[in-house]
Amino acid sequence: MGDILRGRVAVVTGAGRGIGRGVAMELAAQGAKVVVNDYGVSLDGREPTTGPAFDVVAEIKQAGGDAAPNTDSVATWDGGARIIDQAVQSFGRIDILVTCAGILRDRMIFNMSEEEWDAVLGVHLKGTFNCVRHAAPLMRQQRYGRIITFSSGSGLFGNPGQANYGSAKAAISGLTKVAARDLGQYGVTVNSICPVAATRMTLTPEVIKAREIRKQQGIIREESALRQLENLHPEDVAPMVAFLASDYAANVNGQFFLCAGTSYSLLSLPRPEKTIYKEGRWTLDELDEIVPQTLAEGLVNPAPPRG
Amino acid sequence: MGTRLKDKVAVVTGAGRGIGRAIAMLMAAEGAAVVVNDLGTSVDGTGSDPSAAEEAVAAIKAAGGRAVANYDDVGDFKAAENIIATAMKEFGRIDILVNNAGILRDRTIFHMSEEDFEAVVRVDLKGAFNCCRHASARMREQKGGRIISMSSTSGLYGNAGQANYGAATDGIAGLTRVISRDLGKYGITVNAIAPAAATRMLAAVEVARQARARSDAAGMEAAGRGPLPRPQLDPEDVAPFAVYLASDAAANINGQFFAVMGGTISLLNYPAPVRTITKATRWRVEEIVALFPSTLGMELFNPAPAQTLMRE
Repeated sequence: MGDILRGRVAVVTGAGRGIGRGVAMELAAQGAKVVVNDYGVSLDGREPTTGPAFDVVAEIKQAGGDAAPNTDSVATWDGGARIIDQAVQSFGRIDILVTCAGILRDRMIFNMSEEEWDAVLGVHLKGTFNCVRHAAPLMRQQRYGRIITFSSGSGLFGNPGQANYGSAKAAISGLTKVAARDLGQYGVTVNSICPVAATRMTLTPEVIKAREIRKQQGIIREESALRQLENLHPEDVAPMVAFLASDYAANVNGQFFLCAGTSYSLLSLPRPEKTIYKEGRWTLDELDEIVPQTLAEGLVNPAPPRG
Repeated sequence: MGTRLKDKVAVVTGAGRGIGRAIAMLMAAEGAAVVVNDLGTSVDGTGSDPSAAEEAVAAIKAAGGRAVANYDDVGDFKAAENIIATAMKEFGRIDILVNNAGILRDRTIFHMSEEDFEAVVRVDLKGAFNCCRHASARMREQKGGRIISMSSTSGLYGNAGQANYGAATDGIAGLTRVISRDLGKYGITVNAIAPAAATRMLAAVEVARQARARSDAAGMEAAGRGPLPRPQLDPEDVAPFAVYLASDAAANINGQFFAVMGGTISLLNYPAPVRTITKATRWRVEEIVALFPSTLGMELFNPAPAQTLMRE
């Protein structure tokens, strides 16, 4: 047991499984009291007394930590309010918010349904907003807070078939940057993790099958990073989150960290890479001449036309 | 009249005013038939007024171009389908989609209402998705197309007070990167532009600028605020580059993000690891605490450092 989060109160959403569970366990092991949120009601709609959130709370308590379960959905405004209120009711305050809750509904853009878009945006983007929005006034009031959102390489780099997920995760990156500026002056930091790990969400039967096909076709090699996905344990992300949640990271704000297993990277923020400039408005003739040898020079089409 | 977009059919959303109107005008001047979509709302998304789209269509026609008005709401999945169907019905195809419709409702995160968040994400982000979704099905059949979405530096750099708009516009960047990969093989390119121009939308920012001047005068800290828009930038400045991306000359530019501000046009970077620490086994938090300042944390810039003395 460490103690760098002693006396702190944390909320971790989507903490019943995978990365969220790993984060909740680590924060508790570092001394924080943790609200373990994972959405789940029994089939007949009764308040659940068992389920992943309860299991993780039991695990934390067994390890000597303190935790309380919560089964509200992040996707509703009131659910977000109740999740944050649970921290106040159970432990008297909220210092740390980690938003891991998420779902996937992959589909190519030309076939994606409105429901597939709405469901993914609702949990990831609105869910993140709902929790951040309700935690922010309390953190601002106490002049202290740590918010760690979960973004993804999908939106930052562009994974095919994930218009909904990639948009939601990129939108969380925008939300993170804005919230960092809105809240930084009050002693609240807002940072984001782009995790790569083998979880229920990422290592699906479809992913395993697709990878086998790609291997047979020689598209990926044995040592390919994707093949290693099983070796990227969801618990590997947690120590970085615990660090960002600690006093040691007081001046780390508005940043993005790629956490692929035990490999942690600081990601670059958006910036101009190449620039052309003239006084006044460019004409189309000028652009035709100058863009290919400046802005567009060396650009690689990530999905060139076939045939 | 140019011929760069001769025989092409374009849909430009939010084309009744500002940047969208300028793009629609220039596309028409280059030979494209244009669906001028504009619901005609106010900047915050309330109300509706067909005259904005009608006037833009009249201006295009007066200049010898072809255009038709459409008043559907991009934020509605079915209505967006009708915007694309209008292009098919009136002009027989769709080659170019410009996602430009957008609204603003600024508020700091701790005061933002659910409605303010939802309204902006609905129009700015879901509106872009809705139009991309319906247009891409047609473009895929045609084995070609151009999608250009207007994002913003708000999400890129993080403008204080714009959690909704910053999320929506960075979401557009994610949407652009993903669907450029979904669609590239069908001869479709998908790119985004973060424009800066003096439009009606930024006139709302002018109100914010005045509020900021007042708070500055009151001695409040200015740290952590993004740059103010430069009001001298014409919305027409953005149009030539949007038309360039829509032309055959830009066939191989796909999945990219550009910033256009007056005569300054920049290609933006993809995020990439700047510094990396790796270990064979799981990190212990104490190890990160010890290592972070001299590795990942070197020279980090806090956009809004904590204020020790605050006025309320």
